[in-house]
Amino acid sequence: MHAIKYFLIEALVSMRRDRRAAALAVLTIAAGLFLFGVFLLIDANVERLVGRWTASAELSVYLADDIDASARATVEATLTASPLVDRYEFVSKADALARFKRDFPDLADLSDQLDDNPLPSAFEVRLRSTAGAEAGLEDLAARLGRSAGVLDVRYDRLWVSRLMTVVALLRGISLAIITIVAVAAALTVASVVRLATYARRDEIEIMQLVGSPTLYIRGPFVVEGVLQGGLGALVAVGLLWGGYSFATMRYGQMIADALGLDTLTFLPGAATTLVIVGGMLVGCVGGAVASRSAGH
Amino acid sequence: MIEAYHLSKVYSRGVYALRELSLQVEKGEFVFLTGPSGAGKSTFLRLLLCQEPPSEGQLMVSGRSLSELRPREVQAYRRGVGFVFQDFKLIPRKDVFENVAFVMRVLGAPEAQQRRKAFQALKWVGLQHRMNAFPTELSGGEQQRVAIARALVNDPALVLADEPTGNLDPDLSLDIMNLFREINARGTTVVVATHDRELIRQVGRRALTLDQGQIVETS
Repeated sequence: MHAIKYFLIEALVSMRRDRRAAALAVLTIAAGLFLFGVFLLIDANVERLVGRWTASAELSVYLADDIDASARATVEATLTASPLVDRYEFVSKADALARFKRDFPDLADLSDQLDDNPLPSAFEVRLRSTAGAEAGLEDLAARLGRSAGVLDVRYDRLWVSRLMTVVALLRGISLAIITIVAVAAALTVASVVRLATYARRDEIEIMQLVGSPTLYIRGPFVVEGVLQGGLGALVAVGLLWGGYSFATMRYGQMIADALGLDTLTFLPGAATTLVIVGGMLVGCVGGAVASRSAGH
Repeated sequence: MIEAYHLSKVYSRGVYALRELSLQVEKGEFVFLTGPSGAGKSTFLRLLLCQEPPSEGQLMVSGRSLSELRPREVQAYRRGVGFVFQDFKLIPRKDVFENVAFVMRVLGAPEAQQRRKAFQALKWVGLQHRMNAFPTELSGGEQQRVAIARALVNDPALVLADEPTGNLDPDLSLDIMNLFREINARGTTVVVATHDRELIRQVGRRALTLDQGQIVETS
């Protein structure tokens, strides 16, 4: 406890002594983490969007109006027996019409003018996430398509699969950018802390000569890195919140409508924590690297 | 306490700072190392502080070979050694009290102990009334006394001093040497490197004269 208090006091004194260098490190980390946070923010909302898309039926089996009970049972049995099917739901013609009116309110009046309900009943099928074998899915869709009483089989999995591929690619690119930014931030912190070790070389020399444990020599510099990283992260989160608030105030509903979401959301708590902890970790690594020479 | 056997230190291009040096310093003894510049006095003190390893031979303190100490053992060894430099090496950003207490602080001593021992050390060198002054506000002699207080604050068994009076006038030099005599009178082994033969004569302790890395005279 005494050691931690010593490290903290020494780190604060050092930062106060060289405010400019400390501010440079804090702002550099903030810039990097802001970029990181932007990607996380986009990812969080894209995740909601993809979730909504994948929550809808991945495979729809549309039934003829005159399908008899036996044929319907056969289709149902095919779905039940398939290892690719996670669950399915029967949507009656009436349910389908109600959904249509809900999703397209502008066209609700139009549907009321029709004599008959043109929308077919259907089985909406959710596939297992491991059901990646395209051939197996195509085979299932083909078998269902050949079943009596089946009008059409719509298979959206391919589109969602391609979407997930694009999302995974974007995430990969984001990860690469984030890694580069994190390394740059750590190097900046290391440079600032190295400057601090140079500025305090007389103290470090005395500490070494009196037999100070290596922990007491390096500890303050590591803590200084952690503080700079943590402050940078807080600045980044603040900027993110400010930017998000401004953007949603002016363009939020427009963007949400374009994406098909109700609203945009800020970073979830876990992601915000990740940004802050990530900043402190980057600072810690930078401080530890720079202080290595101070311990010898 | 200190035993050197055929100790040599060679730098690049085959330059011998110490050559086959053998000597002994008893526990509680006060010994001068003297000789011209480049004789090897400071090099020997650096080896004693484990700042550099010897090239050949053995250097033992209290029966332990310094070459065989691991890094943590070197740290532990140094806690038992006080050192005083010609240029004082005080930290200008810290006041007198902080400069002395600093040693206890970086060794993890409790604050109450830091305050007590630092005050005791400053009182012993007669500077307890200048605790809040900064090094730049002190005279050369006062700065060196602060350095001596810092060297003593951890009750070392061995005190090393490298030209401690090099920047001081003769009267102050003698005052400083008297402090070292008092330190020695308390049982601490003292080794002082100096080229001031007049000072050695006035203090009257065993002197080992080095030249080109070897002992050429013992008096």
